[in-house]
Amino acid sequence: MSQAEVDTTQLLKGVLDLAVLAVLADADSYGYDVVRRLRENGLDHVGDASVYGTLRRLYQAGALNSYVVPSDEGPDRKYYGLNNRGRKALDQSAQTWASLSKALNHLLNGRSNDHGK
Amino acid sequence: MASNERADDVTSYAATVRAQLADLPATERDVLLEDLEQHLAEVAAEGEGSLVDRLGPAEDYAVELRAAYRAGHQTTETTQKTQTNGAYVAERVRAAAARVIDSDWARQIVAFLPELRPAWWVLRGYLAALILTAAFSPGYALGPIPNPAAKRGLAEILAAGVAIWLSVRIGRRSRSLPQGARYLTVSANVVIAFVAVVVLGHMHSFSYSELIGTSTPEQAPFNAAFAAGPTTNIYPYSQDGKPLSNILLYDQDGQPITVQQSDAQTSYPTGADGKPITNAYPLTQRHLNGDPVVAPRVAFPPWPTPSPSPTSTPTASPSPSPTR
Repeated sequence: MSQAEVDTTQLLKGVLDLAVLAVLADADSYGYDVVRRLRENGLDHVGDASVYGTLRRLYQAGALNSYVVPSDEGPDRKYYGLNNRGRKALDQSAQTWASLSKALNHLLNGRSNDHGK
Repeated sequence: MASNERADDVTSYAATVRAQLADLPATERDVLLEDLEQHLAEVAAEGEGSLVDRLGPAEDYAVELRAAYRAGHQTTETTQKTQTNGAYVAERVRAAAARVIDSDWARQIVAFLPELRPAWWVLRGYLAALILTAAFSPGYALGPIPNPAAKRGLAEILAAGVAIWLSVRIGRRSRSLPQGARYLTVSANVVIAFVAVVVLGHMHSFSYSELIGTSTPEQAPFNAAFAAGPTTNIYPYSQDGKPLSNILLYDQDGQPITVQQSDAQTSYPTGADGKPITNAYPLTQRHLNGDPVVAPRVAFPPWPTPSPSPTSTPTASPSPSPTR
């Protein structure tokens, strides 16, 4: 693992809940599909175990509902979807993230301005 | 990959992950791993290659899984407990306690406490002597400060002195004592403090009775009467011990002195004006069953020898009982 990958992994840890909730807010999904969609959206280094663990934790916390869908060409798939609690959690986390990223962008822009581009 | 091969791959990969997470509390492990096989089967079905090729070693997968599952939990990795309500409350209490301990005034108190140590040593010795006195002399009127004029009091003061000397000696050496002895000292401190509270609690009544005993003779009957209950009748006697009757008593304002009504039936003499005379003592009283209330046995004080009156000195009267 490169240093950049380690950094990404560390940073991602804190916001993976938010990312997973955001993906599920789009559409209900099963474990591996969530991983794929996260990667498609640019989170290349997200680990399968991290996503699976996060899904199970959010489910236990009561933010998700789940149901099994039989699949034609493979094993049954366990789909997860947001319930009311999950949507509320997503809204809150999204706000927190917005203010946090705004503050960080401000900080980082200030730094790049100081040093000149 | 053939489907049965794939199933074997999933089974063995999942088994390794489960083994790695065997230390998690059962409830957490069940929730986390409930459909691990199902999920791994999905992953396996979505592409080519073994699970190890695609997901990395099962051991690493387990570490990542543990971290992801733990991320949202408030408890630390080491406590490994589910976030129950009890744990949450305990956490809040700990946080509140930490806030108090971190506050300036708490720091000042904690910094000042060691300076009080010698004072506690002295107090401890004194209390120990007090407890021993109370333990070995039940019923003895224990006072906060023993009477140095009495033999017994002197012994108590000496004992307290020795106890204080010992206590200070132990206190000064407590730092260098072995661990076991230190625990012993701490326990002894707790016991002494606890028992002392009990002894001191009793001392209040001791010292109260002591007060009555040492009060001036004029006050003594009043205190005794006060301690015994309200006055319901007054029995006047002449100096030579003869009971007097129909003695009219008035206070400093000229008001008739009356006593509290008792259970007994009081019949007051009626004056010429038809009004009852309520301050003529002793009152004539009858118990509820009709028996007359009889005068109590009394002890007369011994008058000084050059008696102010030439009447015979009371011989039959016993000496005053020691008031205590």
